[in-house]
Amino acid sequence: MKHFYFFIISLCSVCLLQAQDYKFGKVSEEEVLEKEHPEFKEANAAILYRKQRVYYDIQKNSGLTLITEVHERIKIYNKEGFDWANKTISAYQNGTETEDIGSIKGYTYNMVDGKLVDEKLRRNGIFQEEASKYTLKTKFTMPAVTEGSVIEYSYTIRSPFVTSMDDVPLQFEIPVNRLEAEVKIPEFFGFRMHYNPKSPIVFPIDKTRENFTYNYTQKTRGGRRVVQTDYSQESIDYMLDVYNFKRDNIPPLKKEIYVDYLPNYAAYLRWELQYTKFPNSPIENYSRTWEGVAKSIYNDAGLKQEVNRTNFFDKELDQLLAETKDRPGKLAKIFTYVKNKTTWNDFIGFQAENGIKNAYKDGEGNTGDINLLLVSMLRYAGFDANPVLVSTKAHGIPIYPTRNGFNYVVAAIEDQGEIILMDATDKNVAIGELPERAMNWQGRIIREDGSSDWVNLMPTVKSQNITMLNMQFDEEMVLKGKSVRNINGLHAKKFRDNYLGLANEDYVQILEKNKGNIVVSDVAISNEKVIGENIKQSYNFELRDAVEVINEKIYFKPMVFAGLNENPFKGEERNYPIFFDFPSSDSKTINFMIPEGYEVESLPESAIVNLKNGEGVFKFVVSLNGRFLRIESSLDMNNMVYTSLDYEGLKNFYGEMVNKHSEAIVLSKS
Amino acid sequence: MRKISLALFLFFQIGLSPIFSQDYAAFSIDPNLLSNANAVLRNQSVEISILALDKMRVKTKRVVTVLNEHGEQHVQAYDFYDENSKIKSQEAIVYNSLGEEIEKIKERDFNDRSLVGSNTLYSDNRLSFLNYTIKDYPITIAYESEVETNSTIFIQPWKPLGNYNLSVEQSSYKLVNPKAIPFRFEERNLEGLELDKNNTTSGLYYKAKNISAVENEVLSPDISTYTPQVLVALNEFALVGVEGKASNWKELGKWQYDYLLKEKTELPQETILKLNKLTANAESDREKAEIVYHYVQENTRYISVQLGIGGWEPMPAKDVDALGYGDCKALTNYTKALLDSQNIPSYYTVVYGGDKTNIDPEFASMQGNHVILNLPLAEEDVWLECTSQSNPFNYLGDFTDDRKVLKITPEGGEIISTPNYSTAANLRESNVEIQLDESGGFSAKITRKNSGVPYGNIYSIRNQKEDHQKIYYRENWGHLKELKFDKIAFENNRDSIVFTEKLEVKGAKLASKAGNRLLLPVNFLRSKTFNLPRNESRKLPLVIERGETYKDHFQFKLPVGYKIESIPEPIHIENDFGKLILKTSISGLNDTELQVERLLVLNEGNWENSSYTAYREFMNQIKSYTNQKAVLVSN
Repeated sequence: MKHFYFFIISLCSVCLLQAQDYKFGKVSEEEVLEKEHPEFKEANAAILYRKQRVYYDIQKNSGLTLITEVHERIKIYNKEGFDWANKTISAYQNGTETEDIGSIKGYTYNMVDGKLVDEKLRRNGIFQEEASKYTLKTKFTMPAVTEGSVIEYSYTIRSPFVTSMDDVPLQFEIPVNRLEAEVKIPEFFGFRMHYNPKSPIVFPIDKTRENFTYNYTQKTRGGRRVVQTDYSQESIDYMLDVYNFKRDNIPPLKKEIYVDYLPNYAAYLRWELQYTKFPNSPIENYSRTWEGVAKSIYNDAGLKQEVNRTNFFDKELDQLLAETKDRPGKLAKIFTYVKNKTTWNDFIGFQAENGIKNAYKDGEGNTGDINLLLVSMLRYAGFDANPVLVSTKAHGIPIYPTRNGFNYVVAAIEDQGEIILMDATDKNVAIGELPERAMNWQGRIIREDGSSDWVNLMPTVKSQNITMLNMQFDEEMVLKGKSVRNINGLHAKKFRDNYLGLANEDYVQILEKNKGNIVVSDVAISNEKVIGENIKQSYNFELRDAVEVINEKIYFKPMVFAGLNENPFKGEERNYPIFFDFPSSDSKTINFMIPEGYEVESLPESAIVNLKNGEGVFKFVVSLNGRFLRIESSLDMNNMVYTSLDYEGLKNFYGEMVNKHSEAIVLSKS
Repeated sequence: MRKISLALFLFFQIGLSPIFSQDYAAFSIDPNLLSNANAVLRNQSVEISILALDKMRVKTKRVVTVLNEHGEQHVQAYDFYDENSKIKSQEAIVYNSLGEEIEKIKERDFNDRSLVGSNTLYSDNRLSFLNYTIKDYPITIAYESEVETNSTIFIQPWKPLGNYNLSVEQSSYKLVNPKAIPFRFEERNLEGLELDKNNTTSGLYYKAKNISAVENEVLSPDISTYTPQVLVALNEFALVGVEGKASNWKELGKWQYDYLLKEKTELPQETILKLNKLTANAESDREKAEIVYHYVQENTRYISVQLGIGGWEPMPAKDVDALGYGDCKALTNYTKALLDSQNIPSYYTVVYGGDKTNIDPEFASMQGNHVILNLPLAEEDVWLECTSQSNPFNYLGDFTDDRKVLKITPEGGEIISTPNYSTAANLRESNVEIQLDESGGFSAKITRKNSGVPYGNIYSIRNQKEDHQKIYYRENWGHLKELKFDKIAFENNRDSIVFTEKLEVKGAKLASKAGNRLLLPVNFLRSKTFNLPRNESRKLPLVIERGETYKDHFQFKLPVGYKIESIPEPIHIENDFGKLILKTSISGLNDTELQVERLLVLNEGNWENSSYTAYREFMNQIKSYTNQKAVLVSN
């Protein structure tokens, strides 16, 4: 018998020796002594352990509270990892109710003279900041942090907002050695779990059901003559959905330069509320289809009323359109009218914050105000106009149907099956174009009867940027020439965004920048202010350091300042997709007169380079006709999104272009 | 008779002022004020009332006509506040281009924001600001506010022209000092102003009209050094409840020492013992100080918390000792405390960190935004930046070099200068061996040493991830195509303060092929130049804040079967701005090597506005000589 006990004890101690102890406060010397992460040697810090518990607390009086408990143990390897010793926890408040952050405790562990010493996080290291009307931030910074420290803290968030559960993070910018998460949801809430579809890693998760009994004391008062209070013990049995996640060695989210917003790519669990089913209450359905979401937004968020609100602009609009009979003319007039009449106040949203009537009167509004005003006016003028719900680039792509999936609205008209999009909040977009923020994913058009459909928001037409340089040398080998540039579509919009209204001297400075020893003159720009029209820009130039004369030979790069000098793709590899702003066609033509007394000794060779089945094409065509040299270089990018697998191809593609653009012509005295 | 007319006059003024005196129509602006201006300050009046030693009220009225979107930043319809400084009232009125009122924004409609920056963990400073969407230009916004504070140590100066591209129609400044608290003031750059002034012991009054806008120009002096201003300070004052008296730097430094610094250097005995052990074998004070500085770097980190008086005084050394963090004041004071324990005197020193800005030696007032430590050792003055965990001992870098600072001693304040990094000290020296191949590609062994200011700008690269290091070099050496790395190594010598980069790289198309010739650009690493815009009517002087020296040696080995056909002519340019010397020579067995020596010196200095064109020409020359090529030909 004794033997048997001993066996159990020794078995346990073996277990203890092998497994890390993740109990709060059980930080080991080994953890503090560790010099680098065994697997990810470049890591500045690592999460040794993270546990998150999410559950509902039920109190008879206060009702349900959503509780999130977090415990983290973090190893700091070097000074670059010190930021991990500062923690910010955000809590939401809506004016009446507030999430509460409490039970913060923390310790820093260091080895001092060969002994493990801990230092407590005290109140003077904890701060509360009201960051905005809706956000309260609790910040703390751990004491006595040096290279090698292990910090450990825990806190609890108590939230009255029981139907919205925060994401449970599963991945960080540093490696995680052990991560545990447990989410317990009573049957009153039907949550559906989603993974981040942008994350390349998907972790399996255990789901089980548990019984739970909630006991409480029921107080009843009764009696006819004497008030009698009876206490009775009541109980409710219900089921809990339990999600369990336990995993070792989660790789860090790879940090990369040139990525939009890294946390978008991290693994997490997201919770969609589908229904609530409280005892003695009917099921309330929150689950949605996109059709349902669109309909509810249209009916409940005031879109329907707003787009049918007329009569405050009738007189002005009748007057505006009096002379115009054709539909394109009317469309253009209304679009321009709304753009001139209103200014966007930088707030986004699909709802009309101030109402379209006020937006019209005050000349100011959010995206909802302005674009719904546009829909309303178009309808008044007889167009089949409707709002299109959009999720902006910064808002991302929603994982499941939800009203929060949209945060923006644009206008559309349907004409013989064709949909034309419009956004009057950006002064520089034309009919059929959208500002960059709205070119994301797909939009949902909602028609008058509440029916809805998906609409493509991505530009399908290539925007063009055509440059022609005509140039020749004078007697002193100064390159004199004229540049003529024609741009349309989103290239023209970009130009207007950057340069519209710039004083001539400032524009000349911009043109001269990075072009060497150049003098630019006679700058002319036409149609700059006529949105939707091609912009034509021309200038004369004199470039002094264009040639090199070596041993009586002239070496000269014919692309001069119009070439691409450097490969924009500088990273070794890529883990995330690559986005281009819009499909584009960029062409540059150089016409050059070979100077008298010289002949061509060598020329760059023509070339055609294809990217991924013609998604990108680079052409470089050199032709010499007598003294007349012509180089046509064109870059067509037909696709906007490339995966990380395409990265190498893109890099080489641009590399070829850089090579071609830097090749020189050699002229020798004849 | 006189009395009557005066009364009439007053009556008229009162009666008519709402209609005529507030003419904010945009067309009534003098056309001279429109040139270079994105906004016009129509009327600014600041009235500062010193109600008591610890009570000051500032009434501000600021009317700005915004001419275009770039002018919006000049509206400045906001005030800061915290526990010790309260906004009593705030209001804004918006006028259209005709000067008609179109909107009034009340105090409750102002927005509120916390001012905790990215480098600060916590601060109670907040901002209450007008958030107004401008629909049409020009537009005029009139802002009025009243702020009350218990700190009279900061008296807002009069700076009518505080910004580029802003002209001034009228600006006035009034200091009301009913209790006749002694004060000082100093006028700067007021010559040539249309000025009204009325100064007495109980107050100041200045009014200026019609000041043209200044255009910002590259490499020009700081705007505050040549624009009008009046600086004001009380000789008896309060700072967040702490009262003081001072009329010069000595006294102000003394007050800071007595009230903000003294008795904050106590340390736990065990820390002192630990330190004693560490320094036991040190042979000199300098060596001890180095050990102390290293100890601070290893045991603390920078965390900024600014609360009340804590914004001005350091956290006690014993708290830093326990917590292991602090802001610049706390960490500097802590380092001082540790040095005190080793009997090495050191001084808390207030400075402006960032662009070279002096603590004004001629005018004592609360100044500076950062604190460093000064140690007058026998051999030399040593300077310590205590917020850095990685700076070498006695290295300030370009954050606090070469400027006037306030050194605080128990006897009082003293204005001294931090060391300057000379043109010769700011040295980047490279040595590159390049093996070329027939296609124009290369493999190269690069060694580059950085000292002086360049040291501080590069050394943190060693802590970056390898991918980022590669991207850094690809971006900086964009002319080297298809760059691949066989080795990236660094040597950080903290004693001599030299950072050495050692790289082995491969690349393509360095030399371009033309028939059987290879054209080889001899400047393997490009020399630094500024891209300067053409400006034939430069108005402001030219300022080069720091000099730089670049020494490079490129040694090319030819591909097999090639010989050198021609090398570039030597270049020697020397002028007031610096010099460029470039020499190419043939060497090696059978003349198969090319040696390139390049020296580029860019001097520090101030020059007249007229020098700008010549300077730009010098930069263009340097740039065009970067393209110098040798011609190689195959046998």
